[in-house]
Amino acid sequence: MNEPTPIVHVVDDDTSFLTAISRLLRANGFSVKTYSSAHEFLAQRDADSPGCVLADLQMPEMNGLDLQSALTETSNPLPILFLTGHGDIPTSVRAMRGGAEDFLEKRAPQKKLVDAVTRALARGSRERELRARQRELRARFGTLTERELEVLSLVVQGKLNKQIAGDLGIHERTVKLHRTAITTKLKVQSVAELTRLTQEAGIFPESLRTFPKGQ
Amino acid sequence: MPLDRTATSNSMSPITVIWSMSVSACLTLAGIHLLVWVRNRNAWANVLFSLTAFSTAAWAFCELWMMWADTPLQFATVLKWGHVAVWSLVLSLVGFVRLYLKSGRPWLAWTACGLRTSSLLLNFLTGQNLNYLEITRLGHVRFLGESVSIAEGVPNPWMLVGQLSLVVWLIFTTDAAVTTWRRGDRHRALTVGGSIVFFALVSSIQAPLVFWGIIHTPVSASLFFTGLVTVMGYELSGEAVRASQLDRKLQQSEAGLHEIEERMRLAVEGADFGIWVRDLVRNEIWATEKWRALFGFSETERLELDKILERIHRDDRNAFHLMVEKAAEGDGSYQTEYRLVLAGGETRWIDSHGRVEFDGSGKPILVRGVSHEITERKQAEHESQNLRGEIAHAGRVSMMGQLASALAHEISQPLGAILRNAEAAELFLQDASPDLEEIRAILADIRKDDQRAGHVIDRMRGLLKRQDLDKRPVDVAELVGEVVALVRSDATARHVKLELTVADHLPPVFGDAVHLQQVLLNLIVNGMDAIDEVKGGDRRVNVSASLDGPHTVEIAVSDSGPGVPADKLAHIFDPFFTTKPRGMGMGLSISRAIIEAHRGRIWAENQSEGGASFRFTLPIAEEGI
Repeated sequence: MNEPTPIVHVVDDDTSFLTAISRLLRANGFSVKTYSSAHEFLAQRDADSPGCVLADLQMPEMNGLDLQSALTETSNPLPILFLTGHGDIPTSVRAMRGGAEDFLEKRAPQKKLVDAVTRALARGSRERELRARQRELRARFGTLTERELEVLSLVVQGKLNKQIAGDLGIHERTVKLHRTAITTKLKVQSVAELTRLTQEAGIFPESLRTFPKGQ
Repeated sequence: MPLDRTATSNSMSPITVIWSMSVSACLTLAGIHLLVWVRNRNAWANVLFSLTAFSTAAWAFCELWMMWADTPLQFATVLKWGHVAVWSLVLSLVGFVRLYLKSGRPWLAWTACGLRTSSLLLNFLTGQNLNYLEITRLGHVRFLGESVSIAEGVPNPWMLVGQLSLVVWLIFTTDAAVTTWRRGDRHRALTVGGSIVFFALVSSIQAPLVFWGIIHTPVSASLFFTGLVTVMGYELSGEAVRASQLDRKLQQSEAGLHEIEERMRLAVEGADFGIWVRDLVRNEIWATEKWRALFGFSETERLELDKILERIHRDDRNAFHLMVEKAAEGDGSYQTEYRLVLAGGETRWIDSHGRVEFDGSGKPILVRGVSHEITERKQAEHESQNLRGEIAHAGRVSMMGQLASALAHEISQPLGAILRNAEAAELFLQDASPDLEEIRAILADIRKDDQRAGHVIDRMRGLLKRQDLDKRPVDVAELVGEVVALVRSDATARHVKLELTVADHLPPVFGDAVHLQQVLLNLIVNGMDAIDEVKGGDRRVNVSASLDGPHTVEIAVSDSGPGVPADKLAHIFDPFFTTKPRGMGMGLSISRAIIEAHRGRIWAENQSEGGASFRFTLPIAEEGI
């Protein structure tokens, strides 16, 4: 994969601070893009590019928390770091619950800032990889027929061929044929691998919830 | 004759009785009026009257003696000395008329007196007396039922001089009486002038007839003169009565005056007033004891303007002078307050009212004044002023407390930018070939942000600083803009939309920007607090400024809160009135005090679309102010 360079998106209504922090981040080797409001960022954002968001918590019209919730609903939910002139506890709690990577004071030590950005970018790329793999797995699972998916759901629940044949009202040999087709299409060697892949792809959320308990 | 006389004296003859009564009456009146003169040396009319009465008594005595004379020589001698009495009678009456009627021609008076004096000299130098060259024998005639002596002999021709003097005297008196009558003083003209003329005329007709031997009766002029003396005495006693009445009235008014003075003194003492009078003509200053005590002068110390001015506080001296000068130019009254600095260093506040009195030509001649101490009042005023200042200051401080978080943000913003820029510059400098352009830009930005932070601090300090109104033309857009900038972040944190609507081309208002910002800040924070009382809905504060008439700008702060209950609209600007659970109730009352000090008006109203609107007006800074 030839991944594009991750970009730090800085959003702050204070242009002076915006310029200063982008200079510092660039000096630290980051690629930086600046936006003077949350709306501007949401409008210009590249739908699928690596990076993270560094946003002022207090901005007129759309503040940091609003931006956070808007971002999570997109297909590219970049990790978000909040900046604030002074931290107040209720707001920071809300921000962290919303999945904020970090919560920094504007005058936080440089190292802390750089580390936080680095961490956010790493998490961003991790989450991005995860999302890419999920997309790839889902594409693989997408080749399965309805019946094959039904068989698969019962297989990952740990049921035997006989039970599956009974549940679906089909012949046990037919079940074996479906299982062969599934392992071929998904390129897996064992049931254990099949189960892990299914879990990773998040195909059957209900079964995944009960699976750890059942085993 | 001796027998006769004894008989008559034993039976108290009518002549003796009548003449004795005349003599005693005249002597009594003479004595009384002499006493009047002794007590009052200016009563010359009384002393002249006394002389008249005494002369009449003397002449009456002579007449009586002549009637009882035994020998011609005795008769002649008594008559000779009797002329002294006549002389003094005429002279005293001339003097009396001149004094009492204040009329009569002086030359007639002098002529009458001169002729009478000449007669007196002739009386002693010619014949046996003025009337007779020689009395040859004594005749006896019946008079009032008795036999009395009369003279028979050769009349002295020089007697004419005496009679001429009487005529001139009569003319003088008549002329004086007529003048007095014409002058309007008819009562005096009649009683004094008339009676003198009448009695003198009668007596001066009878006497010559007797002396020329035409009629044979004793001379009885004294009776007429007694009548005259009685009338004059009556007149003068009327004068005395009037004088005593006047005296009583004077006493009464004096008593009244004393009473008024006493009341005045009580009032002045009660009110703690010190009174002073400055005589500009004689350059003298008089003052009451109270005033002396107030100004630190002893009771006997001589008061001089310079000494008084020395005690007035240096800073108040000029104002005092100006006030007095202005009073002298204007209607004459003045009122001023000034400080005294006494020897011990004690300072007293004095309130002084005064009035300047002018002479006919409008020149000031006298200044009267009332001074009293107002130190306590001044102290109380000073304290309440301080208290007001402190409350306003406390109000500002508490407002600053409310805004502290917003202000911290305002300051941390530029400080953060400075820090980040400095750090970036450090990193750039580590490069082998640093980008100097970039570093220069960074340094410029650092300087700009430093100034920004400085402005925030200045604004905050301005609001915290206790200061008097410093009015000057203020740009409305700038004024409103700065306050909105100050609360912007606070509003954002509270999810309040802050709108600004300033009309174009507003003229500058005349006021103190810092105080007006305080008012705006207070109204905006109040608006945001009001919004918090409503759950959900529109969260909006609008600040607008527009022209209201040709001389006024109206600034309004409207919110989307619940509005002000109608019954509280009237009290919302009262001190300590609050609708907030933790409010002090000072913000709006301080705001009103500030706006009113700017000659503006502040009021609250509820908007038809909901929410309250606080509005105030400010006067436009006119050209040339």
